[in-house]
Amino acid sequence: KEFKLGLITPPSHDWTKAAYAFADEVKAKSDGEHSVAVYPARQLGNEAEMVQQLQTGALDMAFLTVAEISNRVPDFGALYAPYLVDNIDQAASLLKSDAARSLLDQLPAEVGLVGIGYGMAGMRQVLSRDTAAGPADLSGRKLRITPFEPIRDFYLDVGAAPVPLPLPEVYDALANGQIDAIDMDFDSMLIFKFYERADNLLISNHMMFPMVGVVSGRVWKGLTPAERELLQTSMREQLDAVIDHFQAKEKDQEKQLRAQNIKIREAGEQDFAEAINQWEATWSEKAKSLGKLRQAAAEIKGS
Amino acid sequence: MTFIPFFILLFCAVPIALVLALTSLWYIWTSGNAVLFDSYPQQLFSAIDSYGLMAIPLFMLAGELMNEGGLTSRLINMSRILVGGFRGGLAYINLVANMMMAAIMGSAASQIAIMSRAMVPAMEKEGYDSAYAAAITAAGGLLSPIIPPSMLFVLYGVLAQVPIAEMFIAGILPGIIMSFLFFLVIAVIGLVQQYPKGEWPSRKQSVEFFLMGLPAGLIPVVIIGGILTGLATPTESAALASLGALLIGKYVYKDLELNHLPEILKRTALNSGMVVMLISAAGVFGWVVVYEQLPQAAAGWIAQQTSDPFTFLLMVIGVLILIGMVLDGIAALILVVPILLPIAQQQFGISPYQFGVVVCLTLVMGLLTPPVGAGLFIGSSMTGVPPMKIFRSLMPFLFATLVTLVLLAAIPELVTALI
Amino acid sequence: MLQKLSDGLARLEIGLAAVLAAAVTLLILLNILTRAVGMAIYWVDELAIYAMIWSTFLATSVVLKQRDAITVTILIDKLGERGRYWMSLFADLMVLLFALILLVLCWRWMDPPTLIANGFNIKAFQAETFNFIYSEKTNTLGMLKIWPWLIVPLFSISLTVHSLNNLALKIFSIPIYRSARA
Ligand code: NA
Ligand code: NA
Repeated sequence: KEFKLGLITPPSHDWTKAAYAFADEVKAKSDGEHSVAVYPARQLGNEAEMVQQLQTGALDMAFLTVAEISNRVPDFGALYAPYLVDNIDQAASLLKSDAARSLLDQLPAEVGLVGIGYGMAGMRQVLSRDTAAGPADLSGRKLRITPFEPIRDFYLDVGAAPVPLPLPEVYDALANGQIDAIDMDFDSMLIFKFYERADNLLISNHMMFPMVGVVSGRVWKGLTPAERELLQTSMREQLDAVIDHFQAKEKDQEKQLRAQNIKIREAGEQDFAEAINQWEATWSEKAKSLGKLRQAAAEIKGS
Repeated sequence: MTFIPFFILLFCAVPIALVLALTSLWYIWTSGNAVLFDSYPQQLFSAIDSYGLMAIPLFMLAGELMNEGGLTSRLINMSRILVGGFRGGLAYINLVANMMMAAIMGSAASQIAIMSRAMVPAMEKEGYDSAYAAAITAAGGLLSPIIPPSMLFVLYGVLAQVPIAEMFIAGILPGIIMSFLFFLVIAVIGLVQQYPKGEWPSRKQSVEFFLMGLPAGLIPVVIIGGILTGLATPTESAALASLGALLIGKYVYKDLELNHLPEILKRTALNSGMVVMLISAAGVFGWVVVYEQLPQAAAGWIAQQTSDPFTFLLMVIGVLILIGMVLDGIAALILVVPILLPIAQQQFGISPYQFGVVVCLTLVMGLLTPPVGAGLFIGSSMTGVPPMKIFRSLMPFLFATLVTLVLLAAIPELVTALI
Repeated sequence: MLQKLSDGLARLEIGLAAVLAAAVTLLILLNILTRAVGMAIYWVDELAIYAMIWSTFLATSVVLKQRDAITVTILIDKLGERGRYWMSLFADLMVLLFALILLVLCWRWMDPPTLIANGFNIKAFQAETFNFIYSEKTNTLGMLKIWPWLIVPLFSISLTVHSLNNLALKIFSIPIYRSARA
């Protein structure tokens, strides 16, 4: 059978490379009986459209940001709890833990998808036109975010004014001061050279950015146990590789950014304590798994 | 097989948006992927669920208000002072005005719509052939996505992961080369066909034209100023232009009557609706075609034919001209870049900037080629000249564009020198 | 009767499309203004985009009714009066065909019978159909996505009315055309 896998990242991105590696593996392991056609760069539509096509069965699989899932299943917002983890290594361990994986059990009933496992991108940082040493400096600033609720609430709690600007507009908007700051990972800052237009980097590691590999629920129903096993193991392997990859290159990317002519500050959990408390007050209601995840994270931090 | 119903519908005068929409349905039906039917209505919606597309109605309204408020006619008078005396003066004025507009607008479709309404009647009045007038205006519109800002470059920057600002800079030299070649074409045609001799305005007239034109000249200043100071994005600046045109037309020139506003808004809705619906249908068509992996197969074939970067780029240009005949810029770009760019970079060592400018310019040309060319149709519906007549007058300009493309493919420095 | 319905509908559509075109511009101006004074509103862009989409579908319906849409006329221009009549009849038929197919696809997409059978219980509906359109939310407006989507079925209904009317006019115009020739 020929499967179709869609994702939003361009061909050069690590997620896309992992998708192609997954396709190769499925082909090799099934002796060419199954193949996977990869559709990168939102060729089949944005994530919302892909979710719809997964639901009808037009699309077989996708790598989706958890942001897209959390817009539909609020419990997934728990993965975006500020300082759930302190750094990328802890993020990697947490995403591979049973506590995180058990969240995926809700997907079939809630959105008609089968969650195979997590990948991720880098930790979220703040890049700003003016000095930004901590939350106090962000108060009142126009800060560009990817629009989904947990991150919007976090910045509202910080006192900033989150703006949902399309990615293509960000470079110019930073240049002319239409926005003051952006929430982004090292990877994208380097690719799009945003540091050329905003030279204050706040290394805050305030949030992780998980991705999830899914299979259409409709398609899943029609697969044999052996086929399920093949897809599951091959995809998990590549998703884990994505996690390892971002984990490995984060240090190097930080070094690259430090080598630029920009001012770098650092901030941690205690600096954002007030915002975290407010965030927790709203989201402990909305995302019931928050406690369980915090506990799993505490074990990881303790070890 | 897909193309049989496509051409039947097309040549039987079925509205083009529906030709694309119905062909997509036909294709889904015959390919046996009936499951795509369930996503079809939603795709029709989400193909235009896009921030950048708002530039189309915004700029259309700005253009309508500039025409009704007497701003465009005064801008044209002002450029008479500069080039009015040459043979074919208005043709040059048209091109200069288009270059100025290109520095403001990001999309060829909306620029052609506005400039056709402003320039073509004026040229007809002075004795120009209406098809030629429409053709110059449409060709001038090609400068819009090459001279920054450019919606197409923005999209390419995102697809190729290159900084958009550098992509904009990459467009400057090619834009100048293209403008220069267009000037040559106009000069030659003017000589051969003996276009109306221009007339220099008298000194007294010149002063009057200049002073009367100044307030209208404020609009580009408002737009560029708005972008530079961070007040507005390029898309938003179109709304500022509407506001400016409204105020100047009403309070400075006093040509604009507020009771015309409902009619102006209706025209804006109808004209931009037509264009945006075409993009919606093209989006659905592209979605179906990509799902069936047709462009992917074509790209794979090109890569196997040669090992020389220049030859590869020429082949890309050739294939994209064919694709551009039936698909429009944005839809085609999304199909083609993810497939061809990795090959261009890895197998041929081509710079993503050079590749981007070549691809975007080729696809922009597709706006003016039959059977499906949004620019051609917009120019036609604004001027009443049949699309094929415009196309015939356009040939020399399209040839000049092709020359530009070959130059860009041969000499990468033309693109990368300023970056 | 059909004529009256179609004309009235078209007047309503073009009026609404014009209002929405104005709304797009005003919303964008509002965005500039609120951001300039440091009170950026989160959901303006999304609302403006939906206004543009609604305006587009409403205007398209009118444009198709008026037979003003962009078409390739190379062939039809070469035909005689009779040929032109039959070709434009074919084009009108294709518009009706599209309207009807879209209507059917929207019916399948929104699946009202199953929704009613489940007593408008969304969870039960989703479990039965794997169709999640009634719980999909917009990105920044916090509204259900079904409301903006509703323009697609509305468009298909209105286009059905307009194209039926156009077709009826064309068919009943045959005798007129004949007598005009004679
Ligand atoms: Na431009
Ligand atoms: Na074309």
